[in-house]
Amino acid sequence: MKKFFALLKVSIQSMLLSSTNARGRSRKKAATGLGAIIMIAFLGLYLSGLYSFMLMDVLAPLHMEVLVFIFMGIGALVGGLLFTTFAVKGVVFGGKDNDLLLSMPVSSTVLMASRVTAIYLENLVFSLFVLLPAGVVCLLTTQSGAGFSLLFWLRLVIAALALPLLDTALSVLLGALVAFLSTKAAGGALGQNIVMGVYLAAVFYFSFNLSGMLQELSANAAGVQDSLVWAAPILWMGEGIMGDWGLLLAFAACCAIPFVLVVLGLGRVYRQAVTAFQARAARNDYRLSAQSASGQKKALLMKEARRFFGTPMYFWNAGLGLVMLLAGGAAALVMRDDLREMVRIVGPSIAMPMAGAVIGFCLCSCVITAPSISIEGRYLWILREAPIKEDTLLWIKVGFQLLASLPCTVFAVVCITAALELPLWQGAALLAAAVIFATGQAMFGMLVGLAFPKLDAVNETVVIKQSLATMLAMFIPMALLGAAGGLYWLGGKVAEWAAVALPIAWFALLTAVCAVILAKQGAAMLRKL
Amino acid sequence: MLRIEHYSKTYPSGKTAVNDLSLHVRPGEIYGFIGHNGAGKTTTLRAVAGVMDFTEGTITIDGHDVKRDPVGAKRVTAFLPDNPDLYEFMKGIDYLNFIADLYDLPAAQRTADIGKYSDAFALTGNLGSPIGSYSHGMRQKLALISAFIRRPRLLILDEPFVGLDPSASHLMKGYLAELCQSGSAVFFSTHVLEVAEKLCHRIAIIKDGRLVTSGPTDELVGDSSLEDVFLELEGEK
Repeated sequence: MKKFFALLKVSIQSMLLSSTNARGRSRKKAATGLGAIIMIAFLGLYLSGLYSFMLMDVLAPLHMEVLVFIFMGIGALVGGLLFTTFAVKGVVFGGKDNDLLLSMPVSSTVLMASRVTAIYLENLVFSLFVLLPAGVVCLLTTQSGAGFSLLFWLRLVIAALALPLLDTALSVLLGALVAFLSTKAAGGALGQNIVMGVYLAAVFYFSFNLSGMLQELSANAAGVQDSLVWAAPILWMGEGIMGDWGLLLAFAACCAIPFVLVVLGLGRVYRQAVTAFQARAARNDYRLSAQSASGQKKALLMKEARRFFGTPMYFWNAGLGLVMLLAGGAAALVMRDDLREMVRIVGPSIAMPMAGAVIGFCLCSCVITAPSISIEGRYLWILREAPIKEDTLLWIKVGFQLLASLPCTVFAVVCITAALELPLWQGAALLAAAVIFATGQAMFGMLVGLAFPKLDAVNETVVIKQSLATMLAMFIPMALLGAAGGLYWLGGKVAEWAAVALPIAWFALLTAVCAVILAKQGAAMLRKL
Repeated sequence: MLRIEHYSKTYPSGKTAVNDLSLHVRPGEIYGFIGHNGAGKTTTLRAVAGVMDFTEGTITIDGHDVKRDPVGAKRVTAFLPDNPDLYEFMKGIDYLNFIADLYDLPAAQRTADIGKYSDAFALTGNLGSPIGSYSHGMRQKLALISAFIRRPRLLILDEPFVGLDPSASHLMKGYLAELCQSGSAVFFSTHVLEVAEKLCHRIAIIKDGRLVTSGPTDELVGDSSLEDVFLELEGEK
């Protein structure tokens, strides 16, 4: 057990250090890291509480509170899978310290268990953030008084502790499949991208149909519950939280047994799995032909593109916003009648800010530049010894994000403008705001990547998914987007043009500030790393 | 070719890694740099390559000041760290072309040089595979090829013999000699004293960040061996 906890401590330290940048950094930077985590925690609780409230509002009058926990449980399960499946390949099977740890007198099952437990703890955070706010909403809004019982909270905590066990077992199995595909398929990245693409398509389908589902729920909640027999353990969880101890224990068993089986089963073959997933024999059939030359900048851009599109972990985590922009734009066109009906109900004046918020949110999820310096990590010497100016390197990275994000932004703006039948001037203003915001976001990501680098991470997962730079690059622009919403509201009190001009001016100011800092300080910051 | 004058490197923690080092590598020379672990060899090589900033002194390569004209200095230099990590998402041939593009090497020249060196190191057949699938030795060979195709005026190598098989080591020594015959220079660190003694025209020994001695290998070694000289200077004999 001592060995297990020592190994677990290493995994958790690695995750925490990348999130807070605490080691070797100033107190100011460590405090910034902690502040960012608190901000993200607050945002997570807020979103979870909001969704719980929306569901409870529909279901409490029907005395179907149990469905809130079922839906939030499914949400936690799917979200956890989305969050950790691709982390499994790096954290469980692809750690750079595998050789070191496997050579030590520790059983591979204990090593596997420590790595899987680190994944469990990530999922546990997700589960607590989703289920506890649902409990609070239940306490505040239901008439039955269920939330006032201490036993209710005990059952809720048991459910929140058990659910991530199932999540972890599934994500480890899926992660192992992804790792297997990446070694067996000729285009490893392509196989992983297809798996992730199908998965995200299902999530988007669910999200786009959420309002329809809520309407269906209010009309036939009992029928919806009956139709969820395929998710029996989650049904048991809901019933268990609401008072059925037997079903709660059955649910806990359904979560614990797969977890134990996965740890013991994969633990037995962990060494073989790590070897198999790493073993990609170099082919010996290449014939050299005439090579062609290109310039420095094109070579650097191509390198960024190869890394981004050839590393599924990077693409799906840092480029999710691009997929969302394309999917959102296409969905807006397909569902234009529903959207127009919604705009008619809530008022046409809300259409443009709503479109801006959606596009801005998607752009906030596009954080290609933020982890790019940390990803260079042990490869940074290649760029440092090359005859290139430091600021050229940085602007190329910013340029690559813009090359990837601007076409998607333009596509989304055009589609949404057409779907909502916005006047041409509003479409043009939306486009200007989105392009300026996207430009600023790329430069801001580069700056936080330089300010909070993580060059010694044991795997890319830690850098891309959990680093402070990535989190800051995502959530600070979200806050700035919120401020733009406030400016829109204030401007609207003066004139329609002011409502549009103020956010654009705000984005332009922020973008200019980022550009100046990057131009003046970027090279020096890179040199200091 | 390489002139280091009063070079010092102090880390932010206050630790002085190298103190007032001066040495001169002439064109056509193979210059060995030896010392204990932590003596300051890698720190010096990284500063010469422009990979690491330094506190005091000047370093010039072929007339280019590393601090004032880093791009000019790097254009005539090739550097290989002791454990060269290469982009695993690239194929071998893509990496060589990437480096060739960064150094603006013409298409015909790079095709000829890639063919010459990859054939010699028996790596041509593997160039179509991702670097992630390469063994340590193959990566080392690829990194060496990427250095040789640049035709550098100054080649800087940190422990170049680690990980290479005997035939690759032999080949490399031949190419180092060839490079020097064309007027370039080689500055490298090593712990393999026998190789340094046979290969180097001049040798410098560094201890605790300070230059202990330097000079032509013949004069330094005399009738003894480099190992004896080294151990004596280090106070271990």
